[in-house]
Amino acid sequence: MTSALAHVAWEPCFAEARQDRELEAYARRRMGLPNAAVRYFAAAPWVARAAIDIHPEFGLLMHLEQGTADLIGLVVSQENACRFCFAAVRAVLWFQGMDRARVQRIEQEAARPDLPPLVRLTLDYARSQSRSGPAGARQAWTALRAAGVSAAEAREIAFTVATADLANRLHTALAIPPRMMERAPESLAMRLLRPLLDRMTRSHRWRGSPTTAVAPAPDLPYARLVSAYAGSPIGPALARTIDEMWASPHLSRRAKLLMFGVVSRGLPCDVCELEITRALQLEGLDAPGVARLLTHLDGPELEPTERLLMAYARETLWYQPAALQRHTRALQPHLSTEQLVEAVGVAALANGVCRMAAVVMTEPA
Amino acid sequence: MIAWALALALSAAAAALLVAWLQQRARNADLERQIDAATEELQRLQQACARLAPAGVVNRLVADGVSELGEMPAQRKVVTALFVDLVGYTAMSERLDPALLARVLNGYFQRMSDAIHEHRGHVSTFLGDGILAYFGALQPNPWQSADAVRAALAMRAALADYNRELEREGLPTLKIGVGVHRGSGLAGLIGSRERMEYGFVGRTVNLAARVQALTRVHGVDILVTDAVRSELDSSFRLDAMPAEWVKGIAEPVVSHAVRERVTLADAARAA
Repeated sequence: MTSALAHVAWEPCFAEARQDRELEAYARRRMGLPNAAVRYFAAAPWVARAAIDIHPEFGLLMHLEQGTADLIGLVVSQENACRFCFAAVRAVLWFQGMDRARVQRIEQEAARPDLPPLVRLTLDYARSQSRSGPAGARQAWTALRAAGVSAAEAREIAFTVATADLANRLHTALAIPPRMMERAPESLAMRLLRPLLDRMTRSHRWRGSPTTAVAPAPDLPYARLVSAYAGSPIGPALARTIDEMWASPHLSRRAKLLMFGVVSRGLPCDVCELEITRALQLEGLDAPGVARLLTHLDGPELEPTERLLMAYARETLWYQPAALQRHTRALQPHLSTEQLVEAVGVAALANGVCRMAAVVMTEPA
Repeated sequence: MIAWALALALSAAAAALLVAWLQQRARNADLERQIDAATEELQRLQQACARLAPAGVVNRLVADGVSELGEMPAQRKVVTALFVDLVGYTAMSERLDPALLARVLNGYFQRMSDAIHEHRGHVSTFLGDGILAYFGALQPNPWQSADAVRAALAMRAALADYNRELEREGLPTLKIGVGVHRGSGLAGLIGSRERMEYGFVGRTVNLAARVQALTRVHGVDILVTDAVRSELDSSFRLDAMPAEWVKGIAEPVVSHAVRERVTLADAARAA
C-alpha cells in the first residue's frame, strides 16, 4: 500500500536513542504495545510522557468518537507531512480492520462524499487549525458549532488536533525513522498478528469519564486554557504536561517563554501573547522589551541560546519536514542532547497549545 | 452412498469456494495495484503542479479539491512585495546567442528563486527578466518585511557568486535592481474559469515595481520604502534616498538603500 506521503523528503535520523526501561515500560503499560520512538525523547522525559499522556485515545475523550479522532490524526499528519505519525495512524486503522483501499480513499479525500456531514466538518476544522492557524480555524469552528456540535465536543476536537500537531512536530523535527511503521501493513508477521494487535490496542483504549477540575499555577500561562477543560480528563492531563514542561531544568523558563512568545506572535494568537508577555515580565523583561523581541526576534538582552531558540521556534510554525529537520540538526552543536530534545518538545507543545488556545480561549463560556 | 454423495458435494462446494476466494484475491490485488499506480500518478501530478504554482497553493488545492476552487475566497492581507529586474538586459539579449542567453537567464532565475524561498517568500511570476515575489501571502508572517530584505541581501550575494562563474566562462556579468514595499491588497486565486493563478492585487505591487525602477535613478541595487523600513530593526544598515516622483503615485516616494545587515551576533564576533 503506497503511502500518500512516501514522496516526502525525510532526512536520516540524527537523534540519539537512549534506553530508558522505566519510560518504555510506562509507554507499553499505557499504549498496550512497545513504542520504540520513546527512546528518542528519553533525554527529556517530560517530552516522552507528553506524547503518551495527552494522546486522546487513552481515556481523555468523553464526547468525540474515537473513530473520528483517528481520522483527525490521519488528516493532520497528512497536512503536516509527518511520515511517522501518518504511518502510525494508518497502521492503527488497518489493525482495526479498515481495509487498505478504504484507508487510501480517506487519504486521497476520495472518501469525502461518503463521510457523515459532521465528520466532514470536523476534518475541515482539523485542517484549518493545523494549516491556517487561528485565522482559518475560527471560521471552521463557527461552522462546527452552527452544525450542532456541542462546546464540550468542539473543545475535544481542538485538543485532538493540538495533540496531532504536537506529535507531528516531535517526530518530524528529530527525523524519527518512519520506514518500519510504513511497512507494517505489508509485513507477513504483522498480517498474521493483526487480530492480536487489534485486541491489544483496543484493550488499552478507553473513554474518559468526568474528573474534578485542577487548579493550575495561576502565574504561568495557559491556566485559563486548562480551566476551559474543567470536568474533562483533558484538563488534568494538559495541566500536568504544561507544568512538567515549565519545571524541566534543561532550558531556562525565560527561553521557553520566549519560544512560546514567537509561536504566539507567528500564528498569531493574541490571547497567548498577552499571557506570555505577563509571564516574561515576571522573568524581568518589560512589556515594550518583550514586544520588541517578538517583533525582531533579536535584542541585546538575549542570551545566545535564547536567540537560537527563538529563531528555531519560528521554523516550527509552517514547515517542510526536511527543512525543519535541517534546522533542528543545526541546533545540535550548540545544545546538549537534553536541551535539544527539550527545545523540540517546547516548540511542539507551543504549536499545539497556541493553535487550540487561540480558538478555545476566545470562545464565550 | 448418500454419505459419499454428500462428501463429494461438499468437496465440490469447498473447491468452488476456494476458486472464488482465489479469484477475488487476485481481483483485490489487481485493484490495489491500480490504486497504487493512481496514487503515484497523483503524486507525480502534484510535483509537476508545484513547478507552476507555489507548493502551498498546490497542497491546498489537492486538500480542498479542485471542484471547490470557487469557494476559496480571496482575502485582504498585508503582504510584502519584492520586485527584481535585470539592469541592461535588453542590450545583453541582443548580443548573446539565444541558447546561451537562456542558460544565463535560467541560472539567474534559479539563484534568485532559491534566495526567495530560503527566506520564506514565494515567487508569484516571472515577468520577462524580472521576478515578482511575495512574503506573507500564503501564511501569516509578522516578520515578512525583514524576510524580504534578507532575501534581497541573499540575492545580492548569490548574484556576486554567479557573476564570478560567468566571468570565468567569459560571459557578461549581470546587475540587478530590487524594490521592496509592504502594504495591503487582495490575495488569493484570481482569474477566469479557464485560467486562475494565486495572485495579489493592489497598489503595493505597483509601488514595489516603481521603487525597483528607482534603483537606476539612485545608482543602488536594493531599495525599500518607508513602510518596509519601519518594520526593520537596527541591524539593517540603510541610507535614506531623496524623494522622487514616480508614475501613478500621488506623492513623491521616499526610499532607502539597503547597505548590509549586521546582527548583534556579528557585532560581538567582530569585537
